[in-house]
Amino acid sequence: MRRRAAIGSVIVSAAVITVGWVIGTVSSTPAATPATKLTNGTYAGSVEQTRYGPVQVELVVSGDKITDVKALQLTNAEQRSIEISNEAAPILRSEVLAAQSASVATVSGATFTTEGYLTSLQSALDKAKA
Amino acid sequence: MIYVFETMGTVVSIEPPLRVREIEAVFAELNERFSLYRADSELSRIADGSLSMIDASPELRGAYARALEWRALTADAFTPHRPDGVVDLSGIVKALAMDAARDLLADSEHWILNAGGDVLTSGQEATVGITDPFDRTRLLTSVRLGGSRRAVATSGTAERGDHIWGRGGFAQVTVVADDIIQADVLATAIIAGGVDSLNASTSSWDIDVLAVDLAGNLFATPGFTSAIASALVT
Repeated sequence: MRRRAAIGSVIVSAAVITVGWVIGTVSSTPAATPATKLTNGTYAGSVEQTRYGPVQVELVVSGDKITDVKALQLTNAEQRSIEISNEAAPILRSEVLAAQSASVATVSGATFTTEGYLTSLQSALDKAKA
Repeated sequence: MIYVFETMGTVVSIEPPLRVREIEAVFAELNERFSLYRADSELSRIADGSLSMIDASPELRGAYARALEWRALTADAFTPHRPDGVVDLSGIVKALAMDAARDLLADSEHWILNAGGDVLTSGQEATVGITDPFDRTRLLTSVRLGGSRRAVATSGTAERGDHIWGRGGFAQVTVVADDIIQADVLATAIIAGGVDSLNASTSSWDIDVLAVDLAGNLFATPGFTSAIASALVT
């Protein structure tokens, strides 16, 4: 999900580049079509070096409209895209507290010693399930 | 039903009690080889100089090699070397044992393994509570594990900092990943390396992280936040 969102943001920035590229191509055709007219078809953009890494997109044009944008190449952007979207951000305690009400199957905590275990929540859970 | 046993200076729980003798044996074997609390362990003999690394067992050299790989990947934030130079593999051995237990349980559909607060699950989705680093009788929050997300490791400075040298400014770090070794090593690395290691880890690996700083402020990746949200829904 988050990766898709990140890819989406890359595509948006790359699409701007590529739309310009497509328009450039179309306008260079000899016909007297207006420069803004888009010809139906599928257009692969050139590989663009963006600050997110190399990106290449494909545009599908149908009925004078761009109907689809696909990412053809997100090389190391695949890993980079995690960085764009996966940064840890501050969250409020109030945002996480409510989740406590859910019944838990087990408990994760900093490694407890054998002695520490005796007073841990996991110990209580283990006893309840014994 | 649950099976509980002591090993590696902590407590392991398996629910339901599947292949418990074999799993207990896996932990015992690794503990026997790698414990620095046992003078006769192979790693203790490396530490006291009576055995050289070249003559060590393939198992020990393999574990050491893996730990060194992780040291390189985490820019030294995770390290198998104590400040006094002693090779200490306690930061990876428990996760290696859990990973081996997972192989033993490959044919079983639904189970939950908890080894000293590190968690590995299989089958149905499970809600895992995360302890509050400032009051460990309470839960800070809980996350939902499912799909490929099966491993949770939490490291802290509160209870047992023996394999975490250096202070990065976090009181507790929880890492959710597909793989328990990755989760455990990166939780340790982030505790040791602080915010730089946090950012490097979340950019390089597909992990979800919840970090609590020493003042009690929380930092979460989007994936962790949605895992909390899905725990809320259930």
